[in-house]
Amino acid sequence: MKIAISGKGGAGKTTISATLARLFARQGVPVLAIDGDPNPNLSRALGMDTDNLAAIPRSIVERRTDESGAVKLALNTSPADIIRQYGLQAPDGVTLLLGSRVDHAGAG
Amino acid sequence: MRSIIGEIVNESTDLTLMDMEASIEHMSRGTVRHIDKLLVVVEPYYRALETAGRIVPLAQELGINEIYAIANKIRSADDEQAVQSYCSNHHLNVIAMLPFDENVLAADRAGQAILDYNRTSPVVAKLTAVADLLQRQAAA
Repeated sequence: MKIAISGKGGAGKTTISATLARLFARQGVPVLAIDGDPNPNLSRALGMDTDNLAAIPRSIVERRTDESGAVKLALNTSPADIIRQYGLQAPDGVTLLLGSRVDHAGAG
Repeated sequence: MRSIIGEIVNESTDLTLMDMEASIEHMSRGTVRHIDKLLVVVEPYYRALETAGRIVPLAQELGINEIYAIANKIRSADDEQAVQSYCSNHHLNVIAMLPFDENVLAADRAGQAILDYNRTSPVVAKLTAVADLLQRQAAA
């Protein structure tokens, strides 16, 4: 099941997302939570210590030029590997992916 | 980045839950093409309801078939009525009405998850029911 939660800022989206994620996880289901909000607060709402949470590094994508000369960003790491390497451990076994920004500081 | 997130959602074999940007202009086919259910959080105030009203046709256009409103911070029967009436007029099913819950603010002030702060809080109880409902729907 893949669920997206949206809504006007301040309405409670992040609290609801975090709580649902942990409730599903408590039922024994592996849960992947993705923070797609440019103001990333899901980690705090999940109950994580939010100091030094590493963002996904820039190195997962590379620029490729296709046949028409257009430059695009493409993944050079599989989604499964991204989850494995950059997923953060949240309470109740939830895996959190910080999806709203990619770290420009360099390869991780 | 958004279509990369879309790929990750697609490939994920886990139950995947995405907290999305509140700005609907950024919702694109890339991020949501693999989403089964969209929950739009609304409050009983016009601006929150209107945001939901705008998200729904966009989400439908992007191919999400199951869209629900989840109402939050409900303090009265009037609040419930306001949400229900708006949602009915916009063909939006309300999956749950979450009460205004002081514990949520207190947890936030304490920097804690509501589940850790007070697992018997009314919002947690309602969300437990929502999680059960969603699981039952998925199993059906």
